[in-house]
Amino acid sequence: MIADQLIAAAITMTTPILLAAMGGLVNRQAGIVNIGLEGKMLVGAFTAVVVSSITDGWLPAVLCAALAGSLVGLLFSLVITRANANMIVAGLGLNVLIAGVLGFVLNWYFDASGTLRLPDVTLLPHVLPSTVSSIPVVGRTLENLEPLTIFAWLSVAALPFLLANTRLGLWIRVSGNAPQVARAMGLPGKNVQDFSTAFAGFFAGLGGAHLALASIGLFNEGLTAGRGFIALAAFYFGRDKPVATAMVCLLFGFLDATQIRMQTAGLPPKLIGTIPYLLVLIALCIVGWRASRKESPS
Amino acid sequence: MNNSTTSAPGRSGNASIRLGAVDICKNYGPVAANRNVSLGIAPGGIHAIVGENGAGKSTLMRIFQGIEQPDCGHIIIDDTPIRLSGPKQALNLGIGMVHQEFMLAPDLTLLENLVLGNEPEAHSLGVLSTIDWSQAKRAGHALARQTGVRVDWKRHAGGAPVHMQQFVEIMRLLRFGARILILDEPTAVLAPPQVDDLFNLLRNLSANGTTIVFISHKMNEVLALADTVSVLRQGQVTFEAKVCDVDVHTIASHIVGGHSDKTVKPHEPAAIKAHSTGTICNVRNLCVRAKEMSHPLHDVSFSINKGEILGLAGVSGNGQDELVECLVGLRMPHAGTVTLDREDITHATNAQRRRLGLGYVSADRAKEGLAASASVLFNVIAGSHRDRPIKKGLFLNPKVMRTSAIERLTKLAVKYGRLNDVAQSLSGGNQQRLVFARETASEPTLLIVSQPTRGVDLNGIAVIHEFLKTFCDNGGSVLLVSEELDELLSLSNRIIVMADGRIVGETTAGSTDVTEIGQMMVMQGAHNG
Amino acid sequence: MADTTLPANALMPLLDKSFRLAFPFLVALAVGAAILLIIGENPFDVYALMAQESFGSLRRSSATLSAATPLLFTSVATAICFRTGVFNVGVEGAFVLGGISAAFVGFTLPVYFGSAIIPLAFAFAALVGAAWLYIPGLLLARYKVDEVVSTLMLNFVAFGISGYLVNGPLLSRESGNNVTPLVHEIAQLPRLLPPSTLHAGFIVGLLVVAAYALWVKRTPSGFESALVGFSQRFARAVGISIPATIILVMVLSGLVAGLGGGSHALGQLHRFADGFSPGFGFTGMAVALLARNSPLGIIFGSILFGALASSGTTVQLFSDIPLDLVNIIEGTVMIFAVVELGRITLFRRSVRS
Repeated sequence: MIADQLIAAAITMTTPILLAAMGGLVNRQAGIVNIGLEGKMLVGAFTAVVVSSITDGWLPAVLCAALAGSLVGLLFSLVITRANANMIVAGLGLNVLIAGVLGFVLNWYFDASGTLRLPDVTLLPHVLPSTVSSIPVVGRTLENLEPLTIFAWLSVAALPFLLANTRLGLWIRVSGNAPQVARAMGLPGKNVQDFSTAFAGFFAGLGGAHLALASIGLFNEGLTAGRGFIALAAFYFGRDKPVATAMVCLLFGFLDATQIRMQTAGLPPKLIGTIPYLLVLIALCIVGWRASRKESPS
Repeated sequence: MNNSTTSAPGRSGNASIRLGAVDICKNYGPVAANRNVSLGIAPGGIHAIVGENGAGKSTLMRIFQGIEQPDCGHIIIDDTPIRLSGPKQALNLGIGMVHQEFMLAPDLTLLENLVLGNEPEAHSLGVLSTIDWSQAKRAGHALARQTGVRVDWKRHAGGAPVHMQQFVEIMRLLRFGARILILDEPTAVLAPPQVDDLFNLLRNLSANGTTIVFISHKMNEVLALADTVSVLRQGQVTFEAKVCDVDVHTIASHIVGGHSDKTVKPHEPAAIKAHSTGTICNVRNLCVRAKEMSHPLHDVSFSINKGEILGLAGVSGNGQDELVECLVGLRMPHAGTVTLDREDITHATNAQRRRLGLGYVSADRAKEGLAASASVLFNVIAGSHRDRPIKKGLFLNPKVMRTSAIERLTKLAVKYGRLNDVAQSLSGGNQQRLVFARETASEPTLLIVSQPTRGVDLNGIAVIHEFLKTFCDNGGSVLLVSEELDELLSLSNRIIVMADGRIVGETTAGSTDVTEIGQMMVMQGAHNG
Repeated sequence: MADTTLPANALMPLLDKSFRLAFPFLVALAVGAAILLIIGENPFDVYALMAQESFGSLRRSSATLSAATPLLFTSVATAICFRTGVFNVGVEGAFVLGGISAAFVGFTLPVYFGSAIIPLAFAFAALVGAAWLYIPGLLLARYKVDEVVSTLMLNFVAFGISGYLVNGPLLSRESGNNVTPLVHEIAQLPRLLPPSTLHAGFIVGLLVVAAYALWVKRTPSGFESALVGFSQRFARAVGISIPATIILVMVLSGLVAGLGGGSHALGQLHRFADGFSPGFGFTGMAVALLARNSPLGIIFGSILFGALASSGTTVQLFSDIPLDLVNIIEGTVMIFAVVELGRITLFRRSVRS
């Protein structure tokens, strides 16, 4: 029973992180560390709620969220690749700017402070018939399964192939790994980077849409609660490899899902919440320690 | 749009000149990198272009690749004058360049690197096309057979041995259809047996009609490989010949210049005797292991006497930079000892050595000798900012800082606008004088000076030379590392010669000439068992 | 080159420089104005109202200075690292930890310590902040661990730790949720102009900026850190230890950030509470970037952003314009402060011959 619920919750909690992390890892493979994922998720969530309410359909909402995310991503990328802005500061600035713009719109247009409740918000549909819930252990998970979770895991399966075996995938990896080589071989390195940032925006937008439309059906300024940074932690820890990153996301999602239960067990949820970040720190230390051992003369 | 040669010039082998230059000039600001360079390279031959650093080789190669446009003159491909718009066009016309830094992405496999920019498609969908790896592999194997090399295509480029990386880079160019291969010092990173492999490959390619242009410093390689040779010196072609008609010393003397009967007047020996009352610096059995992009040192021993200028000659890239870094404390040797004023400084930090009386004029003025974007004041005070009276108590004294900066700058007659101007606004000569002003302010006993007059105007050269003489007359010692043999001969009391990470000879300035030193400089490989 | 002989030529560099400095802020104001136009407000009226609301009266001015107080600390903490070329984005975390440390001392020490509690609380806050940023400093200096990622991650760890403490061991028994007990009255920083919340922390902030200026201009280590920022290779070649400099600036940055948290806890809130910092660390980054790390610029920038924050609140009260305009301006400033200005200059420089 409890395992049943826990798995379902973990899978649901994983999806938004997973989507953002998949976008972010492609972006990082192309050489851009995307600190603005958080903001783009927020844009996605907001767009999804508004469009869902207007159109009464989840699909247009999800698509618009993804498009809004990729548009923001593209603009962000242009600032980095064309105006040579520092990607870290620009990313932090983008998060502040987006929070400002969304808060502004919320306040001024919707006359709401912080939380946006709209009528007729269509949630993501469950794809499988509710009879699946009788299956032991994974029944609840299957019952809750919605299109974005399926899409997220399909992308985990597809990305390794796409990155390895398509021209664009190869170009993405070159422009991140050795931009001077891309230039020397006459590849459009900056365009490829711009595409990858728009791609990251697309996925972050989807992640935001999932946060808003998976169950709650409303938008809140604090909805993402640092998930963009958790995604960042995930692909740093997963070393930009889709499957490894997905496993890390699953771990983070599981931690997220157990937080509430841990609290009742007496474990402080706030401290549990720091585990993803500590893991990344540890991973970075190990990498640095190994490199420094290799370098030093005997 | 005089660039009407979209139909590539005839690919037949009938051309008399495959790749050529006619009266090419290129200036960077006041510096003339190329002055009326003319060259003609016949199809299918191996042509060597030799010359010191800064002789204008790289500029010429960049022009051949279309990265730079000449200020005047033009290049010729297959007897046709052509204006290149960029590397891509150059490649389309069949000019491929192998840079010193390989253009391979380290995290990609060798096969991925091979097909980069020209991927065989399995399904054609524009950028989303899937790549036909089996076809890529076949192409790779075919090229490997053609060039007689074994390549582990699955390996990541960064983890593959350097010679394999180089071969893959050459194969990539061949796959693009390169008929002219330009290789920029291709042997600098290779071990001797790999050099043989490379030479075999190049001979092979040449026999099959590929034209090879080979840039090098190393005389024995030129003799071993090339059919024809051009020497560039100070932006001009000073010598051209068929390799079978010349010997190594003729080429060497053309490279280093001073082959004319210019009489070289050594620094007065009287001054030497007056001060040579002992050793200031002793280097014993110094060894540095080979690492990426650095040359190893083998058992280097020498000493510097008080009051002398010791010249260190050698073709660039033979370990001089590594030796200098070991002496000033920027690189730690793996074995051996260095003493300064009888104190063991082998493992001392740069700051500790400076306190013991060491000064350092770096060869890389723009990046190590100066902080180019910092002010003149900062640049001339840096390093002595913890010395009295610039530091008084816990704090810096800005007034003293400025007055002593002005004092230092005046001593070396540095021309600058204001103390707050950025250092890079000064001319090359004044920048170098600023470096000297800083490094000699604390009255060091030993000054390590590397390429002090590189990129410095004639007037500046005279000032720096005069300064070095005076410095020694006053009891200081200098290790002078230079590629300019004239400079070494006119300033040094003794000259040691370095080749292949070893000291291969020593001579006194009065008893030698350019030819003798040139001979020692090209004694590479003599110690390679 | 004939066009460079205009008589106004001498003024150009100066104008160019001030334009470059003001550029990010001008863009941000323009973006704000565009948004105001879209919603049908007159931007000039709104900006005039904001100026009025920030500096129009003593009361409003002191509200502005009060809002500027934490920024003085966080921007100095950021500037210390940025001028050294160390990309520390962890000031926020050190600020928060400094705040909870000072609050802890402020309500834990017995009252008979008297006003000695204040310096003790500040000292503890500074110590905790310094120790906190010593971690990424050491990792960078010793193992070359990218400081951006490590400080970013440490921020979240700091939020987690403080969040745990304020909801657990340090939770106030009286006040309910997410706050610590109030610090003793004797440990509260005096208000300078009651009823305004402007408190003595502002003076401490100014002293910190002054100390920063002294460090920059007059100390060997300040000189060294600037050189490291200009060129690590050069600094190393003139005998400066890069690892020692990196660790020093990280520790100093943490110390200042910790003091800032202490000031905010003892002077403003008189306790630690969840949501202690609405991003003072990041706003401080915007200030440091805008000020190009200059001490005077930091004071101006902090007051500017303080003015935005304090006027934003009242403008929202009196008109329909949401407070979020301030965030929009701040975000735009951050983005445009790092856009490479080489490409966007007012006057093209004539080529030196």
